[in-house]
Amino acid sequence: MLTLRYEDGTIRIDGLEADDDAVESVPGVAWDDRGLVARAPAHRYAALRDALADRGVAVDDRVATPDADRLSLSHAYDLRPYQAEAVAAWRDAGDRGVIQLPTGAGKTVVAMDVVAELGVPTLVVVPTIDLLDQWRRELETEFGVAVGQFGGGEQAQEPITVSTYDSAYLRAEDVGGDFGLVVFDEVHHLGGEGYRDAARLVAAPARLGLTATFERPDGAHEVVADLVGPKVYEAAVDDLAGEHLADYEVRRIEVELGPAERDAYEAAQGTFVDYLKRSNLSVRSGSDYRKLVMRSGTDPKAREALLAKQRARRIMMNADAKVDTLGRLLDRHRDDRVIVFTAHTDLVYRLSERYLLPAITSETGAAERREILQRFRDGTYSRVVTANVLDEGVDVPDANVAVVLAGSGSEREFTQRLGRILRPKADGGRALLYEVVSEETAEERVADRRR
Amino acid sequence: MLRKDLLRVSRAGGGYRPQFAGRSHRPLAARTIGVFQGHVGEPRHRLDGALDDLEADADDFKLVRGFAALLERDATFEARAPLPPERVRRTVFEAAEGVGGVVDDGDREAALGAAADRLGTDSGAVEASLYADRETNEVCTGVEPRWDPDGLIEQYNLSLAQTALFDATEVRLRSSDPANLVSAVKRLGLLYEIRRRAETDHERELVVTGPDALFRRTRRYGTAFARLLRSVAGSAEWSLSATIDDRGTERELRLDQGDVSVPGVDPIAEPTYDSGVEADFAARFAGLDLDWELSREPEPLAAGSRAMIPDFAFDYRPAGGAAGDPDGDAGAPPFRVFFEVMGFWTPEYVAKKLDQFGSVDDGVELLVAVDDSLGVGEEIDALDHRVVTYAGRVRVKDVVDALREYEADLVADAAEALPDELVPEADVIGIDGVAARRGVGVDALASVSFPAHERVGRTLIRPAVLDAVDAAIEPGASLSDAEAVLDDYGIDDASAVLSRLGYRVAWEGLGGGTIEER
Repeated sequence: MLTLRYEDGTIRIDGLEADDDAVESVPGVAWDDRGLVARAPAHRYAALRDALADRGVAVDDRVATPDADRLSLSHAYDLRPYQAEAVAAWRDAGDRGVIQLPTGAGKTVVAMDVVAELGVPTLVVVPTIDLLDQWRRELETEFGVAVGQFGGGEQAQEPITVSTYDSAYLRAEDVGGDFGLVVFDEVHHLGGEGYRDAARLVAAPARLGLTATFERPDGAHEVVADLVGPKVYEAAVDDLAGEHLADYEVRRIEVELGPAERDAYEAAQGTFVDYLKRSNLSVRSGSDYRKLVMRSGTDPKAREALLAKQRARRIMMNADAKVDTLGRLLDRHRDDRVIVFTAHTDLVYRLSERYLLPAITSETGAAERREILQRFRDGTYSRVVTANVLDEGVDVPDANVAVVLAGSGSEREFTQRLGRILRPKADGGRALLYEVVSEETAEERVADRRR
Repeated sequence: MLRKDLLRVSRAGGGYRPQFAGRSHRPLAARTIGVFQGHVGEPRHRLDGALDDLEADADDFKLVRGFAALLERDATFEARAPLPPERVRRTVFEAAEGVGGVVDDGDREAALGAAADRLGTDSGAVEASLYADRETNEVCTGVEPRWDPDGLIEQYNLSLAQTALFDATEVRLRSSDPANLVSAVKRLGLLYEIRRRAETDHERELVVTGPDALFRRTRRYGTAFARLLRSVAGSAEWSLSATIDDRGTERELRLDQGDVSVPGVDPIAEPTYDSGVEADFAARFAGLDLDWELSREPEPLAAGSRAMIPDFAFDYRPAGGAAGDPDGDAGAPPFRVFFEVMGFWTPEYVAKKLDQFGSVDDGVELLVAVDDSLGVGEEIDALDHRVVTYAGRVRVKDVVDALREYEADLVADAAEALPDELVPEADVIGIDGVAARRGVGVDALASVSFPAHERVGRTLIRPAVLDAVDAAIEPGASLSDAEAVLDDYGIDDASAVLSRLGYRVAWEGLGGGTIEER
């Protein structure tokens, strides 16, 4: 008789000896000399359990959710056809895998349906404080139960608990054996080495990943597939636009630097480029850039070059013309609901002070952030300016205009920002996305690549 | 601990060596403290600006930032605003909606004015309060550094070494205060095992990893290692080596008490864990005449994927002879008890080790000695007779007592395995020789009969030999002649045989004597 227990991020298997065949032959099992016991990684628990069952081994499984802890939950959602398909595909895959849906397509509903269907203690892992609030609110409202929370200053566990990736990483060993289902919202975060443990050390046999973009250029999706499962269902923006998502239009506005800004920019950029020339590096290559960053730790010239580059970027980002352009756009959209995005916290506050816009950044406290979003939702505020913190998956209902000031990057970011304003509008109006970039700069190349 | 981006290490020669601050950095440490003290009453962004200037002057900006990060813990900041900023913001943003959105200076003034009216103040106070609570606008209200420049450098070096451990995947430690070390390891949720650095090295080290390290090399336990360093660095003598995962390249970090100490903490001078315990024991044990032969550094015992090398083995060599099988072939191995003096231990660990290493049935038995003072506060009741405790030195008597238990069992087992009758080939053989050849104690032969021999004292002699000896010895012969005859037949127990033949020795002086009938 083997006994399986969860212990510190591993499955401890008592009843095996070092030289038992099972130590070699059951996948994932290894002998631990430190405690003289056999162990398997927590995330392979389901595979281990199934392998032992296949061999007819008698097991006292103390990892499995006891019947007494099962939950009886139901929700009032009427699943859309693609949502039902997604759930079915995930169940067919053995309660394991990733569902890819565009932002705004109701990933939360899919997850809630899975939670209700399985009825086991569930951990929901999300990337931001906003999502933490949002999931918790929805779970509490829909299921009528107390929902625990790890993160945002709280550490309270309930059969259903919502956690940030950070807290899940930190608490993994303590709580990793307490859940039968784990849901990873914006699952691509598991690709980051630091966050992997949030999945590795959790034993939950049922694992659901949600994302708008599964494939990633850095290959992180392979890690996700290993820890959560492969992609089991996908629907693209085009499949859903016009049906469940609002239609949208992108407008690009180019602005010029003022003469003083231009001089300062060129001086800073010149310092940077000169250093590169002297040291035979090129900015086009990412590895050369990393070399520069490494050198800057010891070489004052390299550090000077790097600081100059940052200065140039800041000038570009903060261009007065962008600030003025935003004023014109706000004027044009006085009757609309506008979200302004920019990557730079300092610029957010500059815009907030200039146009008296409610601001949300990583500095904003949880209560105030909640209040601002609530007031935006209920119409008290018609505009808000944020520094990327709303990048992922927070509901901001009925915003119909977005202004992106100097976006910084990847396709993923773009899709998801776009997704933010793609909410069905009551009157069916067309959503607008402005992209404000400085002329002749690296920013434009980033913007071009997206097309 | 510092933020990882403030780590300064040298990789010269493939190593991984924190760039510790030294005496030459004293002026820089003093200046950094001065910058903090000079900015009391100023907003944080001014302080940051002054630190940036200092960085520009210094050879190494990260060193300045490291000092500053430590000093910041002793500085207090608070928001100074005419009105509560959060309330001001709420009012201002509502006012901005009230004027239909702010898009130019006119709208802005109108909105600020409306907000000021509602708050019963003026626009200036509103603007000054709006973001006064942002961290960068907070005012430094006091700096009370707990360190002077030397103390700051000492703390910096400790913090730097801790930061270097963030990327460690395994840490190996020795300490003059092992009990404290073991309890710190457990408190931090880490696991350890004890290993010798090399087969020839008697000193052991604690190899520390975390649970998940079994399945992959992981940096997950780096911060726990960093905390562990703080405990270790508080002892008088210690050394640490760590395997660092340096962006995929494995490097070794080595530290000892000369590199890092804890400011304001006198090192704890505890009795040293003494590997001399073993040598001392070996010497004392060898001085006894026992049926057990001690060998040091016996062969490794397999324990899962790793080998364990016990300190000693005791081979049971009853009756002083070379134990072997009765037919005198190459010889079955003697019964062997392995003996391990454990420097570090817990009851569970000891119990596991004992179970792991078989039983008498396998011919492998493990006996351990555990240091009473290193019990880490745990009970030792659960342990059985195979564990002896010691304080300071292992008492030979305790070990002998433990061995006697095996001996008693062995005698009983061997006696059971013996036949009722034995017919040794030799005409003359000592009982101890028979016992040795059977691998049993002499006592075990008490119940065995020897039909072909007569037992005379400690010797078995065939009757024909006895007759021949009897014929060759006449009363009146000298003792030395009689002994020569006995010796020819391989009999060394002269007095018992002469007595059996009805003779006694009339002693003459100190040396010789004459055989006479009784």
